[in-house]
Amino acid sequence: MTSAHSQPTNPVISQSSIQDTPDGRIPVGRTMPDEQPMLSVQNLKKVYHTDGGDIEAVRNLTFDLPKGQLACLVGPSGSGKTTLLKCISGLMAPSAGEVTLHGQKVTGPPKSMAVVFQEYGRSLFPWLRVAENVELPLKNQGMDKSARKDAVEQALEAVGLAHVPKSYPWQLSGGMQQRVAIARAVAYQPEVLLMDEPFAAVDAQTRADLEDLVRGIWKKLGVSVLFVTHDIDESVYLGERVIILSSSPTIIQEDVLVDLPADRDQLETRSSQRFAELRHHVYEQIQLAKKGFRPEDAVAMK
Amino acid sequence: MTYIRSFLNIVALPLILLFIWFLATLGEASFFVPTPQLLVETFINTWTAERFAGDVFPSLGRLMVGIALSIVIGIVGGLLIGSFRWLRALLEPTLEFFRAIPPTVLIPVLMLLVGIGDEMKVSVIVLGAVWPILLNTIEGVRSMDEVLADTSRTYGMNKVNTVRYLILPSAMPQIMAGIRQSLSIALILMVISEMFASTEGLGFTIVQFQRSFAIPEMWSGIVLLGLIGVVLSFIFQLAERWILGWYHGLREIEQSA
Repeated sequence: MTSAHSQPTNPVISQSSIQDTPDGRIPVGRTMPDEQPMLSVQNLKKVYHTDGGDIEAVRNLTFDLPKGQLACLVGPSGSGKTTLLKCISGLMAPSAGEVTLHGQKVTGPPKSMAVVFQEYGRSLFPWLRVAENVELPLKNQGMDKSARKDAVEQALEAVGLAHVPKSYPWQLSGGMQQRVAIARAVAYQPEVLLMDEPFAAVDAQTRADLEDLVRGIWKKLGVSVLFVTHDIDESVYLGERVIILSSSPTIIQEDVLVDLPADRDQLETRSSQRFAELRHHVYEQIQLAKKGFRPEDAVAMK
Repeated sequence: MTYIRSFLNIVALPLILLFIWFLATLGEASFFVPTPQLLVETFINTWTAERFAGDVFPSLGRLMVGIALSIVIGIVGGLLIGSFRWLRALLEPTLEFFRAIPPTVLIPVLMLLVGIGDEMKVSVIVLGAVWPILLNTIEGVRSMDEVLADTSRTYGMNKVNTVRYLILPSAMPQIMAGIRQSLSIALILMVISEMFASTEGLGFTIVQFQRSFAIPEMWSGIVLLGLIGVVLSFIFQLAERWILGWYHGLREIEQSA
């Protein structure tokens, strides 16, 4: 890759933009003033209080996720991606700011949200079989038995695992286990699907298959997806939009629209010129973030 | 072949021990150690259907009730104490105190408080056998995997389902380890509780034999206790294999990887 100290913005990326907040200091991601966004993150801040002092993981994040969008959050390691996702999913309360879903403040895990974690081996119930794992959230919702059975079958079919409903998750390969977790999320029929580096622990070929699976499911279900990754290629290939996070304490470095065609193909898309340009741009930004470049300085200088 | 081999594995050591015992008692046998032949004979004559009905079954009944109560109290208490930090902080020092008291020293007090009947004997068993289950359950609940707990929360699992599908199965390996320890404690306490103010039971019978110098009969009672222990552990292993099948499979895969 090209050296990291090239110019912060690549002129080819016309869509990339950072809006200024009223106070002109902290850059924010795309927000939607007119129509109601599906998911909205406003001035989110998270400080961990430890014995060794306070650690500011997330400084100030603002962005909206419209209905049906697949957005990727990408950032250098330790950029508070998981913290952010935990706040959005209601597993953790932010120190300041808020997350709203359909205009309602998120205070605990919302019903219409499903999360796929990176550690598939620890997010599936090892004492339940594959079909039972997918079925459990539906059972908990009180769905009746025959409807459950159909939903489980369809979800397993959708992820290509219709042949192993009776296996235990730990009898399957890593990629297959993550498919089970995705099937469980799909069967739950969420409006927002959060994915926390879901493919970080699987091998490269499996990863490509799973990426296409996520694109396919997203298109089929019309669900909003927020996909956290540290993989730049993956973020550009998957997303319609890539939100680049700065290094910790995290703010938004840049919010890039990905104008690749809707039909993506591991070979075609990845070898297209536009893909290379976008990848180049995102890579550059991440390198800048790693070096400690902070966009608020740039905005302040303007 | 594998069946024959595992059968041999089970009987090899007992056969060797029997043989050594046989050799050791060949010459002039001690009054206190009967020969194997005599012991077998005595066993058959002593442990008749009548004795089983009058002494062994009542003992086993108390043992089973004691174990069942220990399991229920241990698991329910452990789930509660393990789930609430404040409850744990409140109870843990006191629990350590009660745990340190040998249940046998409470027998005289219990005799005064709950009488000399079955209640007292079951209480003694529970007072000793509940601790491994209770403490292991607390530990099992506390060592819950965070990702799994987060997963359950994101899917909005209600309290009942969280206990049933998350907390209980996830603590089950530790709970079973606790139950295993409790079984032998319960057996010991069953015998001891019958040595006080009793008129029937295995412990009572063995002590009676001792006091009347019926040495071979006493030994046959001890053998019967050992056999009960073996059967208990066998039943436990069957139950464990059924309940924790997933756990052993998972462990096997983790170890081979």
